[in-house]
Amino acid sequence: MQPVTITINQKVVSGHAGMSILEIARESGIDIPTICHDPNLQPVGACRLCLVENEETGALVASCVTAVSPGMVINTNSQRVLEHRKNIVKLLLASHPDACLICDKGNRCILQQIATDLGLGFNDLDKISQPAVVKELNPFIARDASKCVMCGKCVRACQEIVVEGAIDYYRRGFAARPATFNDAPLEQSECTFCGLCVSLCPTGALIEKIKPYQGTTGHSIQTTCSFCGCGCPITMEVKDNRVVRALPGKVDSSSPGALCIRGSYGYDYIHSKERLTEPLLKENGVFKAVSWDEALKTAGAGLKRAKEQHGPDVLAVYGSSRCTNEENYLIQKFARTVLGTNNVDNGSNFYNLATRAGLGNATGLLSTTNLLEALEQADLILVVGADPPMTAPRLGYSIKRAVKYRQAKLILVEPRRTKLAFFSHQWLRPRPGSDLALLNSMAWTVIKENLFNPEYINRQTEGFLGFSEALDGCSPESTVEITGVPPDEIRHAAHTYAGENKAVIVFGSGLISAVNGTESIKALANLALLTDNVWGSGCGIYPIQKENNAQGACEMGALPEYLPGYQPISSPEIRSKFERLWKEKVPLKPGIPVVEAFSRGRETPFKALYVIGENLTSLTRPSLNTDAISALDFMIAQDLFMTKTAACADVIFPAASFAEKEGSYTNFEGKIGWLQQAFPPVGESLPDWEIILRLAREMGAPLPYSSLQQVVNEIEEFVPLYEGYDRPAERLEDKWSYWDERRSRAFQSLSGFPCFSIPESGSQPGEKPKDYPYYLILEANLAYFGSGTRSGQAWRLKSHYPPEILKISAADAEKLSLADGDEVNIISLHAQVKAPVEVTDIVPPGTLSLPASFPNATELFKTGFDQESKAPSPEACYVKLERVKADGQVKSAPRNRS
Amino acid sequence: MAKLKAPPEIDLERLNEIVNEHALKRWALIPLVQEVQAEFGFIPPRVVPIIANKLHLFPSEVQGVVSFYEQLYTEPRGRNIVRVCRGTACHVRGGKTILKLVKRQLELEENETSEDLEYTLETVACLGVCALSPTMVINNQVYGHMNPKKVKELFKREGES
Repeated sequence: MQPVTITINQKVVSGHAGMSILEIARESGIDIPTICHDPNLQPVGACRLCLVENEETGALVASCVTAVSPGMVINTNSQRVLEHRKNIVKLLLASHPDACLICDKGNRCILQQIATDLGLGFNDLDKISQPAVVKELNPFIARDASKCVMCGKCVRACQEIVVEGAIDYYRRGFAARPATFNDAPLEQSECTFCGLCVSLCPTGALIEKIKPYQGTTGHSIQTTCSFCGCGCPITMEVKDNRVVRALPGKVDSSSPGALCIRGSYGYDYIHSKERLTEPLLKENGVFKAVSWDEALKTAGAGLKRAKEQHGPDVLAVYGSSRCTNEENYLIQKFARTVLGTNNVDNGSNFYNLATRAGLGNATGLLSTTNLLEALEQADLILVVGADPPMTAPRLGYSIKRAVKYRQAKLILVEPRRTKLAFFSHQWLRPRPGSDLALLNSMAWTVIKENLFNPEYINRQTEGFLGFSEALDGCSPESTVEITGVPPDEIRHAAHTYAGENKAVIVFGSGLISAVNGTESIKALANLALLTDNVWGSGCGIYPIQKENNAQGACEMGALPEYLPGYQPISSPEIRSKFERLWKEKVPLKPGIPVVEAFSRGRETPFKALYVIGENLTSLTRPSLNTDAISALDFMIAQDLFMTKTAACADVIFPAASFAEKEGSYTNFEGKIGWLQQAFPPVGESLPDWEIILRLAREMGAPLPYSSLQQVVNEIEEFVPLYEGYDRPAERLEDKWSYWDERRSRAFQSLSGFPCFSIPESGSQPGEKPKDYPYYLILEANLAYFGSGTRSGQAWRLKSHYPPEILKISAADAEKLSLADGDEVNIISLHAQVKAPVEVTDIVPPGTLSLPASFPNATELFKTGFDQESKAPSPEACYVKLERVKADGQVKSAPRNRS
Repeated sequence: MAKLKAPPEIDLERLNEIVNEHALKRWALIPLVQEVQAEFGFIPPRVVPIIANKLHLFPSEVQGVVSFYEQLYTEPRGRNIVRVCRGTACHVRGGKTILKLVKRQLELEENETSEDLEYTLETVACLGVCALSPTMVINNQVYGHMNPKKVKELFKREGES
């Protein structure tokens, strides 16, 4: 870029062409006040406070929207500039209420700060009355249009960063203000309550509702969100051992910081009254608070007893994708060296097995093949079986930004009308569970119509011939029976996908935990490989991670078959490497995945279990897990809350929340986020890592660490890709070379070139049992997370759970003569639940959906196992409906009205 | 605004025709809403999401544009638009009284539409035919040298002498 030199306040400064005067001034440490400017938003020059004088022409220009030109002479605080600036602030104050003393924004108000800086106190201008507070019912955001200065930050943030478009300017002149469509309250608009507008609002026009007047805090910490796999950085304001506010933290310059409803308001659970604060011991079925010593002693004795009676392989440790990397490292080390078993697992394994088995051949990487920034460079984004705006909001923001502002095309493969349907250029609506057939048909089209580069396929991949032969019979015409998607649409999608230069694939639980999940992921990987879209900027495959440390927990080796860094337990060299390091024996026999062991119900091979931060009852069918738990001789639970799992335990250790400890998380891109302790753990609770160390000591096999830093050092030294991970700043700067490293390691792990997987013939979405005509899916939503352990304790999130209703298409509702609000019994082969219905176009005919937060909804499902990958493959959940009559009697709904 | 008995029905088929015609054009929004207004007389709020969806815009964005322009209407307008001039020349020749009489005759205030959707009453700053003052315009027809009798004559109701 062309360098430009200008003079600001007699000081010569330089930048490059295209920069604004404001940017150059800020870079050179010259302060220009502004209200409407934000480096992550398009400059609009709305507030006019940043005006500066061009000394050559005498013009006053808004520096945020004026580009520099060589040789400019600028004065930012000449007498004239100051006079005008003061007048502008006076005018703003004339239409602003004198409510500073009782305004929640307090000292954080930018208008107030600028007025003070300019020495403005008494305002001699007459007041203009302003519109009043907007009445809303939501517990998150309160709007007071009278304090709005029309800087437009909220409008731009909503449109440009999170791309919800809930608000825009409404009307004009004096009447203009930001408003939702139809000027409705936020809860009736597109607003997702991400809180970004509140964090950017310079005045008190947008504030946190319900909890205002907490004042300004002197203390804020940089930490990492504890919910989904995006692992967003959070700036947390802390006062008197309480979190006052959570704001988007500092991300690197390439992507603007933004949180979602969970990041901004979900921290409430930290201060829940339901937190476990003391170790508990079960005596005669009742929990009793005891000292740490007593609890540890009982726990240690219980584990030892089971080991002595039945050998180490009846013991199991269930780590957590909610615990830090360091804790998961200790968890697996504890299982392997203290207990002597490889029965160690973590909650996300259940989810990741399918991804690993599906992507391994093609990419060698067991996770995303690129960074989130790269996704925004794509020309085309293919989203299959995923609802990123709900399950991984930051990924959702990136997709929407790419589509709306970078003209990327979006192909959505999803039976439900999700938020992305609005953004999509092509929306394929296959029957649930038929993604595999659809993806294979796309690949078939790419091959048969020569939409790929044969030279690349010949030189840089393997297994193409076998793959293309196996696809015979997968033409769009022959799969239309299965998918229900017209062949032309599939063909069109294949042409678009193969035709664009840089294409990205995003997939999520709709694919991973559906029928044929592993096979579908293989088909996706084949498609990406076929069109050379696995690597490079704007290319890649992005699996969505459910939990914020799903990636880290697996990379730290909290897995039955792998040591840290996905190093297989079966390799003698790897084992001896770790034996030398740990000076302990590493058991040979691969462990049993916990979900597999538990799916056997009472036949579970485990006798004693140590569960850390996971809610087992939510994994598969809760009743099966309860059976498995009741078959255990001894169980230790370590959690924040009395979950259903914890309630079954013999000993409970109270754990500290993410705000009360230190450590690191690895997000779905492989980026490290660090925690910073905000305040000491509540009550007698302790960080998970400390509890594990204490328990090891109690069992007479202390792990050789006296501080967390020693664990960090060991990880740095022995876990591939974690070298230097505790220096996040350096790693961020150098993120691309880190990615090259990741990529080259992935290639090394492949036995040869990236390889196509042979598709299996069985692409039928499961057998449809007779008389169960409807396919049921669970719908993710923003407020409810995981199994609701934490979101259910965050009162603001809980109050925002979606209504407990069954969504049904108009066609099906007509067939059954059902109307909104009619109660039905939803009956699967395994269970039944009762719910009122809502007629909607969100689900296609033949499909029903329940919110994931619906009580006992998971009971309706059954989880089987993929024999090859051991990944859970939930069977399609077919249900029938029975109308519940007003008198409580049940009457079978007629199949056909006619 | 006088309350309407029932909002007029919108022919959704015709709406979709208009929307599809404009959807692929660049900067389609303003010509599109103008055509919708030409067809239906106003831009009903319920068509905003349909337009927004097709143009890949947010409903709030479309509403922002529609609410910005004075001549885009979100409420139904009369079949006859009456604009009384309140320019200086008309004012000194009794334009204010003419407006008062029109209001009384139509039983409407400024910027209101009659319940039967027959008339919408507006004022304009100047029609540029000051020689004919006081003036008013009904649809595209200018009426000059207005007086109370003419007002009565113009807006004569059925059965009135």
